[in-house]
Amino acid sequence: MPLRGLRVIDLTDERGIYGAKLLADLGADVVRPEPPTGDPLRRRGPLLATDQASQTSLWHAFFASNRRFFSIDLQTADGQEQLDKLLAHADIVLSCKDAFAVAEANLTKQLERRPELVIIDVSSFGKEGPWKDYLAPDLVAGALGGAAATTGDIDTPPLKGFGELNFMVSGAYVAIAALAALAKVRKDGQGQRADIAVHECIASCLEHVLMFYWYPEALQKPEGKVLPRRGALHWSDAYAVMPAQNGSVMVTPTPDFDTQLMWLIEEGVEEDLIDPKYQDPENLRLRIERSMEVLRNWAAGKDAQELFFQAQERHCPYGLVLPLEAVAENPQLLARDWYRQLTVDGQTITAPGAAYHFSNSEGRVDLPLAPHKTATTAAANVLSQLGWSSP
Amino acid sequence: MSTDNRPLAGLRVLDFTHVLAGPFATRILADMGADVVKINSVQRAVGTQDPQHPYYLMWNRNKRALALNLATDEGKSVALELCLKADVVIDNFSAGVLDRWGIGYNAIHKQNKRAIYVQMSGMGDGGPWSKFVTYAPTIHALSGLTHATGVSGREDIGIGFSYNDHQAGLHGAVAVLAAIEQRHRTGIGHRVDISQFEVGVNFLGPSLLDYFANGVAARPVGNDLPYDHAAPHGCYPCKTDPTKAHDIVGLDERWIAIACMTDTQWSALKAVMQHPEWAASEDFDNVQGRLTHKRAIEENLSAWTQEQDAYDLMQRCQAAGVPAGVVQDGADLMERDPQLAKAKFSRPMEDVHPDLGPTWVDALPIHFNATPCDQYQRVRVIGEDNAAVLEDWLAMSAHDVAAKEADGILQ
Repeated sequence: MPLRGLRVIDLTDERGIYGAKLLADLGADVVRPEPPTGDPLRRRGPLLATDQASQTSLWHAFFASNRRFFSIDLQTADGQEQLDKLLAHADIVLSCKDAFAVAEANLTKQLERRPELVIIDVSSFGKEGPWKDYLAPDLVAGALGGAAATTGDIDTPPLKGFGELNFMVSGAYVAIAALAALAKVRKDGQGQRADIAVHECIASCLEHVLMFYWYPEALQKPEGKVLPRRGALHWSDAYAVMPAQNGSVMVTPTPDFDTQLMWLIEEGVEEDLIDPKYQDPENLRLRIERSMEVLRNWAAGKDAQELFFQAQERHCPYGLVLPLEAVAENPQLLARDWYRQLTVDGQTITAPGAAYHFSNSEGRVDLPLAPHKTATTAAANVLSQLGWSSP
Repeated sequence: MSTDNRPLAGLRVLDFTHVLAGPFATRILADMGADVVKINSVQRAVGTQDPQHPYYLMWNRNKRALALNLATDEGKSVALELCLKADVVIDNFSAGVLDRWGIGYNAIHKQNKRAIYVQMSGMGDGGPWSKFVTYAPTIHALSGLTHATGVSGREDIGIGFSYNDHQAGLHGAVAVLAAIEQRHRTGIGHRVDISQFEVGVNFLGPSLLDYFANGVAARPVGNDLPYDHAAPHGCYPCKTDPTKAHDIVGLDERWIAIACMTDTQWSALKAVMQHPEWAASEDFDNVQGRLTHKRAIEENLSAWTQEQDAYDLMQRCQAAGVPAGVVQDGADLMERDPQLAKAKFSRPMEDVHPDLGPTWVDALPIHFNATPCDQYQRVRVIGEDNAAVLEDWLAMSAHDVAAKEADGILQ
């Protein structure tokens, strides 16, 4: 596995745990300390329904995949010593401000002792500034970061993305920061800390939002520097979700307007789109608007699934709006053997696979999911398994 | 000896990517010091591949520009030589394009065992949909993200920007860096096949587990949490902003997100509201009660927030320990946000563009303490770095470069 042998200590909460997951699923040995009462993230839903008593968290099974859990009581001298032993063997420490064991880990001292150590510090808003102590669960983080303003429609409030989409952005940056810093260690032995603010991470992943603000003259949009929320209609006006028979389809005349036009002509529904005025580059905006009107009327009478497959046969990037149950049975994912088997609480469940397929000339590198432990494991046992009982 | 201390200084990345996902991956590598050579050509430089298009300006800073006409055999030959010198070759074409040009992983690996290949196609290499053409809105639709993000009864909302393109870029960067660590250990460069579709489906991980284990298919929940209990938890209207454009619907609206994750936070919110009568009910003291009376609470809360200034209310809520944040748009991020200002997140590109004048930078949100990544070079015009790149990578003479430029190979 790509990260085999890499030792990572996971002191994250929701804001960084996805980064720890990315490293763990690539083969790193990731140890996650938790209090004797259990990680609070073990209470996040959805829960496994078969055993109501155990309240097993499927959220935790996903985000804390491939982890060793390490139960320590930081109120005791033994607990502190166990944490120190763990940290003494780490290549990388991932931490979130105020998460369990971060204060006790004394990371400044750890780096002084071992200059080759990599430490990633995640906070919501950075270490300084008037908002540095603001509380920001995913909804609030997405609001302040700019994601909510552009999601939703004019007749809905601004909306958050489903689930944990904002924290999955900061989590991905955590993994990048850790591995980039590790590359530096491999080159010259220099470890370091790196700070990541969730707020900046979200703001860096907003596609058109900053572009609209910086380059309004070039874009020449009537809205100017800011585009209001507008459902699934893309900033370019050229991608929208349209209702069809038996479902909805994301329809676009791009990237080749002429391919789309030929299709409409074949079906005799091109209306006035063959007017030469639409070929004038000066009239691109007009062409997009009119194309979308024609497509909306046309799509409304089509079977959604048939329309999607016909479009893709013509290399038109339409997308069928699939509910989760259809994604679960998707033939592309099944053909690529993407889903894995995960054992949780003795039960084997189909689970999402990794976002990568590594291979070399000898074949594919498997990225399996280890059985997920629903109970914490005593620190002494983990240290013994790892052979790290001595500092 | 280079004095560049950034984490990826010296890493050679040959970048065949286009549009957003791939260029965003290589932008991150370039920001951290990698020598990213972006391949473009006069023929391909249309739409978002035009180096003057704002979209191109956003995702292609800090890269060197090499023009290569890959329709010619000589162009392919130069590409082959570059692949033999590369640490990383990355593309987001449909699967198989580099193989057809004779510069795919299998061909190069025989001669350059250390070369890492990362292919970020829409659907991945293999499977019945592998040739499908996708952009982020396509992936959002197919992955379930459009269906899940929105409100009940609507399938036409989804995420309002190309979230998955950014995430595919971030995962592309993770893949490159993981493969570098793997190469450090094994000496072998691997091939990484990333399906942007699989990246997107992955974001619904807990819901997929819920479906497979419990048979429950997730449905859109607006601003509620899909599985956990918190109330109030939503976006609420505030006083409109007279400084904002009001000729287009929605632009002068102000909203605040409030998320009471605990009973204590609800109690603190009541104090911020100065204990209105409607909020006094004991039924509201625990989250189950608040969820039962969600509609009434949201109506009353909205009526109250509508009279409040959004930023002022946020400050009062946060001072009282209530998670709250203004729904900020792009202008707010750039003009009102003290945290982004403090971090110098937005900055003018010091290296002014010769044709376009000022361009802008949103800084890398990773702050390395010992090796800051604070260098930003403007987007280059097509072929601007032909001579420098080919001298550095292939020791090609200026004379040979000029001849190939004249022959149309480096255009």
